[in-house]
Amino acid sequence: MDRTLLAEATLMAPALTACLVACLPRAWTTGLARAGAVITAALALVTGGAALADPAHPQVGPWIALDAAAGLLLAVIGVVGLVAVLVSPAHLDAATRSLVPEPRRRRVFYVLVFAFWASLLGVPLAGNLAAAWLLIEATTATSALLVGFSGRRRALEAGWKYLILTSLGLGVALLGVSVLAAGVPGGDLESLTWRALPTYAAGPSTALVAYLLLLAGLAAKAGWAPVHNWLPDAHSEAPAPVSALLSAALLPAVLLVAWRCEAGLAPVIGDGTARGVLVGFGLASLLVSAPFLARPLAWKRLLAYSSLEHMGVIALGVGFGTPLALAGVAVHVVGHALAKTLGFVAVTPLLAHRPSAATDPLVGVGRTRPALGVMLGLSLGTLAGLPPSPLFVSELLVVAGGFTAGWAWAAVAAALALALAFLGLVRALLESTAGDVAGPAAPAGAGRPALPALPGLRGAGLLAAACVPCLLALAVAALWLPGSGIVAALVRGVR
Amino acid sequence: MNTLSAWLLVGLGLPVVTLRGRRMALGAVTVQALVVVALAVHHATGPQEVVAAAALGVRALALAAVFLVLAARTRDPRPVEAGAGPARRGALAVGLALLLVWLVPSAGLASRTVEGVVLSCVAFGLLVAATTRSTVFQVLGIVLVENGLALAALDLPGTSWLIELGVAFDLTLIALVAGVFHERIFAEFGAGDTSALATLRD
Repeated sequence: MDRTLLAEATLMAPALTACLVACLPRAWTTGLARAGAVITAALALVTGGAALADPAHPQVGPWIALDAAAGLLLAVIGVVGLVAVLVSPAHLDAATRSLVPEPRRRRVFYVLVFAFWASLLGVPLAGNLAAAWLLIEATTATSALLVGFSGRRRALEAGWKYLILTSLGLGVALLGVSVLAAGVPGGDLESLTWRALPTYAAGPSTALVAYLLLLAGLAAKAGWAPVHNWLPDAHSEAPAPVSALLSAALLPAVLLVAWRCEAGLAPVIGDGTARGVLVGFGLASLLVSAPFLARPLAWKRLLAYSSLEHMGVIALGVGFGTPLALAGVAVHVVGHALAKTLGFVAVTPLLAHRPSAATDPLVGVGRTRPALGVMLGLSLGTLAGLPPSPLFVSELLVVAGGFTAGWAWAAVAAALALALAFLGLVRALLESTAGDVAGPAAPAGAGRPALPALPGLRGAGLLAAACVPCLLALAVAALWLPGSGIVAALVRGVR
Repeated sequence: MNTLSAWLLVGLGLPVVTLRGRRMALGAVTVQALVVVALAVHHATGPQEVVAAAALGVRALALAAVFLVLAARTRDPRPVEAGAGPARRGALAVGLALLLVWLVPSAGLASRTVEGVVLSCVAFGLLVAATTRSTVFQVLGIVLVENGLALAALDLPGTSWLIELGVAFDLTLIALVAGVFHERIFAEFGAGDTSALATLRD
């Protein structure tokens, strides 16, 4: 089947589902959402799989670009979106208030989720910088409402910060897009295909300014330090399924656009300069995240700072640009998505049962609820890079890639920052799963009544059970990946 | 674009930085957007460009209508104070605009005057969003940035009406979402004042 057609179907499925959920009777909402999610995820996996199966022949047109990187991202966004939709009923059942009055709450939530998902799937597929910008801006409009969906004060604050900071950032990026458009043959926004960027003809200094504007703007959306202020707030206050989409799907999708800009403009402004900006953002993100990861933080806030760290690792890998580093990036994107989704999904039942878990650090969950403790431990252990986590291998690959690319100082700095982040996350892992519990949350037994069962925990358990073999397989695949055709295609990009 | 239009656009942007009243600032941003629409119509050479200009016009009027309704529904007990006084904000805005014009090399738009106006609008918008605490003003800052960028898109050598329509649609959507947030923030906190939004810190 034509891959472009598959890509178009992948974009249409969630958009159509959003329309159907909005128009058809309310009683069908959850069923429609589930069916739409399964179809969308299946299409995303097939399209992504087709691109990864034949990485040497990317399909690159003026509007749709389907290469290995897009294929990888499509598969990730498809899976994360599916999980987010499937666990949403548990979140919606437990929610006590919302921006939208009760009779319409479920319907509006799913319409927004599918609209967000559709624009997210479009970002890696965009064959044109201007179209990619439009789709990223569309993700802001849909996801900001989801961040503030609970209607609580903290959620409104997080949603507002997210909306204003990312919109301003994208405004700055649009200035970069306009500057670029004036200098490519054709001279309009439609001419800004990825393959046209290296033909920029208005001079390297103007191209550099455009590149800096673009990356500064995209950094605000990708959650890179120092313009990451919205990220911890939005991730911690959004409904857990939305947090999973924001962290595991949105951030790497925006990062792919930054990567394509770097690859397109490097021939004009110089390889070292173009990569240096990404390495700078990567290091800044790692260094800023490390001290926060050492603090006692509420679970979702901890995962948010971990996103900052991991986006830093991915930016470094892309900046280093060697086969080793890019193999690390590929593994990191997938491993981070699985572990982060599990982390947000596993904590959903606990948040519904104990709202204070949204603001206070988790302590000793494994002592009171062993199954939940195992899931949280699996998520955090993987994110920390505790062997045999695939993220351990991917971080090694990225750092090694830094040495082979001639960025030894950056690789050393990254290794030190990763070690600090590792220590912080391992401390959080021990504290949240096996820490000393006092007061009402103390373990059952010794005269205490058994704790009530958590609805939705079984779904999280199924996800954890599915994640274990996937993560182990990914760790093994990471060793084979550097010499593969997929990595060769990542190095080549859409050229 | 002639010098008069350039100064008119800059002159309509700068008051948004210094004004305290929401309606006056909204009026200045809307008139500025309509001047950009007039320039778009003047530039138009085919039906697609006329459609893109119409989209910009609809965006300008729709945003004005939405924010007028919002302003009427959410009357602040007193104007929300900004972080700095109007003179300081104005000086900062002019300084930032001059700095941007000095730093950014010629981008290849039709003239350096247009580039100066675009960069000034971006500087004013960023300053408004960064230094004011009013939720309405922060959104007006974004609209100000986008007015400048719409002007840049008009002055590109080619045309891309589809992208321009998309940008106009996206920005209208963002402003509508911001309107929803503004109303809820007003309902929860009793004012559209972002200084109340300071509980999420580490």
